[in-house]
Amino acid sequence: MTSVKANAGALTNFEVLDLLNSRGASKDTTRVIASETVSRSEYKVYDYLMETAASTQTRDSVTKFSDKCKGFKLAKAEILNIINLRPSSDVELTPILEKPDEREIDIEGILALVQELLPPLPTVEAHKENEQEETEDGEQPNMETSV
Amino acid sequence: MFCLSELEDTVRVPPSDLNLPLEVAIKKALQKLFLDKVLSIGLCVSIYGIKSIEGGFVLPGDGAATYKVVFRIVVFRPFVGEVIAAKFKESDSNGLRLTLGFFEDVYVPAPLIPTPNRCEPDPYNRNQMRWVWKYGDDEFIIDDSCQQIKFRVENISYPPVPTERAEDAKPFAPMVVTGTIDDDGLGPVSWWEACAPISDDED
Repeated sequence: MTSVKANAGALTNFEVLDLLNSRGASKDTTRVIASETVSRSEYKVYDYLMETAASTQTRDSVTKFSDKCKGFKLAKAEILNIINLRPSSDVELTPILEKPDEREIDIEGILALVQELLPPLPTVEAHKENEQEETEDGEQPNMETSV
Repeated sequence: MFCLSELEDTVRVPPSDLNLPLEVAIKKALQKLFLDKVLSIGLCVSIYGIKSIEGGFVLPGDGAATYKVVFRIVVFRPFVGEVIAAKFKESDSNGLRLTLGFFEDVYVPAPLIPTPNRCEPDPYNRNQMRWVWKYGDDEFIIDDSCQQIKFRVENISYPPVPTERAEDAKPFAPMVVTGTIDDDGLGPVSWWEACAPISDDED
């Protein structure tokens, strides 16, 4: 086995969740036995991602956010971290950034952008139906179990 | 946390799968080979797609067809400095162990837990130790009740497969992520919930 390219591109949590969704993963309890396209270990990843900010994001919001981030002088890894974690306060954003004071990063600006563009985190107690949109224009959400 | 990796490998499709469409059969063989396995590049989570398939030769003495496949997989490989949310799994005198559901070997060694702290025997679970962070006059316990614990990746290591082990040793972990919770915003999320979003009320 040879590695052609060890790193062909970093993926946000949202992109991985999107991939699993397009294969037929869903929150239905009968899915683990029924699904042929998604294995059990992939479901574990799916379950983990559904509890993070990725479950409420849309492709549109993620692309718009990373475009606008270019104006803030952030490293690619930092933008990835922000999209994955969706910090809503100063104290959540600081561990992500490296030496923010020396680089004169506009923390308030970044938080305002997050608030504006990225959908809020899913509520842990009750998953509201209207918060689980991950569709791109024209793409159908595949929420049915495949038999 | 995840990234794509492009690999090339020789894949053997067993004769029983030869009635399936080629892509499905190869994908099945790839999943068996790579899914949930730790490679030098990380933990393979999913097959992303197949780029090219060549070959299809049947070697003498073997009923299976062998293909040379170039494909992409999604690997779990956090980078140093990444902040990840995990759940508490267990703790002992060496430190904490966190889990991500699909990956359970995240360790926070004792020096990376915010000081001053102390370790005390867990009153609910006799075998475990419990870590408590002392901040000012308050004490914060790190245990099962924490919904989510955020940590920052310090290091990833791939210990070599051991040749012999003691009977009661932990199952071998081919990939170990070491994290820290000793910084603003890290550790159990409940510790920082008091901070109001966006406006800075407290430091």
